[in-house]
Amino acid sequence: METAAPSLLELQRAMRASVVIHDDGAISAHVVDGSIGASERLDIYRNTFASALTTALRLSYPAVQRLVGAEFFEGAVRIFIEISPPKSACLDDYGEGFAEFLSDFEPAASLAYLPDVARLEWAVNRALHASDMEPLDPRRLVALAEADRARLSFAPHPSVSLVRTDHPADLIWRAVLDEDDSALSAIDPGAGPAWLLVHRLPAGVEIFRVSESAWRFTSALCAGRPLAAALDEAPDFDASALLADHLAAGRLIDFSLNEAIT
Amino acid sequence: MKSSRGGRDSIPAEAGVGLRFRHHEEVLESHPAAAWFEVHTENYLGGGNVPASLDAIRRDYPLSLHGTGLSLGSADGLDPAHLARVGKVVERFEPGLVSEHLSFSVAGGNYLADLLPLPMTEETLEIVCGNVDRVQDHLKRAILVENPSTYLQFRHSTIPEWEFLVGVAERTGCGILCDVNNIYVSACNHGWRASTYLAALPAEAVGEIHLAGHTVRRIDDTRTLRIDDHGSRVAPEVWALYAEALARFGPVPTLIEWDTNVPPMEVLLEEAAHAAALIEEAKNGNCRALAA
Repeated sequence: METAAPSLLELQRAMRASVVIHDDGAISAHVVDGSIGASERLDIYRNTFASALTTALRLSYPAVQRLVGAEFFEGAVRIFIEISPPKSACLDDYGEGFAEFLSDFEPAASLAYLPDVARLEWAVNRALHASDMEPLDPRRLVALAEADRARLSFAPHPSVSLVRTDHPADLIWRAVLDEDDSALSAIDPGAGPAWLLVHRLPAGVEIFRVSESAWRFTSALCAGRPLAAALDEAPDFDASALLADHLAAGRLIDFSLNEAIT
Repeated sequence: MKSSRGGRDSIPAEAGVGLRFRHHEEVLESHPAAAWFEVHTENYLGGGNVPASLDAIRRDYPLSLHGTGLSLGSADGLDPAHLARVGKVVERFEPGLVSEHLSFSVAGGNYLADLLPLPMTEETLEIVCGNVDRVQDHLKRAILVENPSTYLQFRHSTIPEWEFLVGVAERTGCGILCDVNNIYVSACNHGWRASTYLAALPAEAVGEIHLAGHTVRRIDDTRTLRIDDHGSRVAPEVWALYAEALARFGPVPTLIEWDTNVPPMEVLLEEAAHAAALIEEAKNGNCRALAA
């Protein structure tokens, strides 16, 4: 059968449909099949796509994989990949929506804490791969007039994430990766929420629990809100000690002064 | 400053090894006798400890950056964010060589995580050359473009792949990364003559050679496809083709690639030693005699 030659753009869109959603309708007529059919040839590219992305997600979500088992994980990932294929060749950035996907994924509904663990793992992944940035030198702040301090807003280090989980995802995460079954069975998944700060230090990624007030204050700060507004998030709270801690740990990289707040 | 590194900047016409994460520590600690290393650009886009360890390795070895994500064949054009990231990696590591593939991997805003084949047409040639120009302008240096392994061809292709590759080099001034294993794999899969492919490439354009293992996938009793999985030693037929390539191109920097089930460094060095022996022969003109 004669088929009109497609433009390169059309051909690549057709190839995308073949690789991502396994629809060979638009591409197969353009493929030389010979003794091996077009779909068998296309399968090779489909398989590479699926296995490369499965590997990428396995590296980003090791605890989720152990919690559900390799087979279940792979099944969930295959569906996720089809719905949310990567948008760039930087696979370190791939998989951001996986926690949200899992929270709507019916077969995983019995593991209510799974999306929380996935959100924490995404924050760890972000911290691992974040760009290197020079921390803000606290001496730059010393020169500021007292009156200007309330107008300060900060830029966080790209490795910093603030994660609030309904379940003790940090304890579950650690026990799973340590393969510590007794620690895991001692965890009460209904033990209530955790407020977590994730950050990369020279020695590696660190996850630690903070109070709800500290979490709210830091979240506002990392969102670039002025110091005065961040303080409003946590009124009964010694923010200056925490701010000093953030600066000392290199969690902030820059500041700016906002217009006067009325 | 480049000059402070002296001879560590350019890639020598010797046998190097593809460096993967599992060997970083060993390289830093025991300093194996590899002539040079090549890494995948896309593995070093971020920050943290892994690229920092490559900084340290780079101080002691010549380094080449091999990309898989620029998608030189995309009709959509290059992803400017990705090109910017690659530019930063090149700036950071000051590699002796920078290479990419004659393929596409991005379409309709999605990364397809493989080196997908292009239809070999005049339209594609225009698009690839435009994209290579843009990369070279951004990086302010010439790149090498590698022939991929392919598992299918398009009906409307009108140009043999070897002519297409030479056309890209002639129009853009880029060099050619001649992957001898890929030539062998594609030649078997499509019924080409590997020697015809090699003979078409101008020696002065070939800046690097790749060698790797591949597998034979049985579709049924009579039909097979060769798959470029970089998961084993270089096949004897590929070594033979490599000798032919050296006879034609002279001594060229040659890389042993291994990406699936990466073996201990000593296995990679054994493969590199085999390549080095053939390069030595080429230097003495013996390969030319052997191939004649």
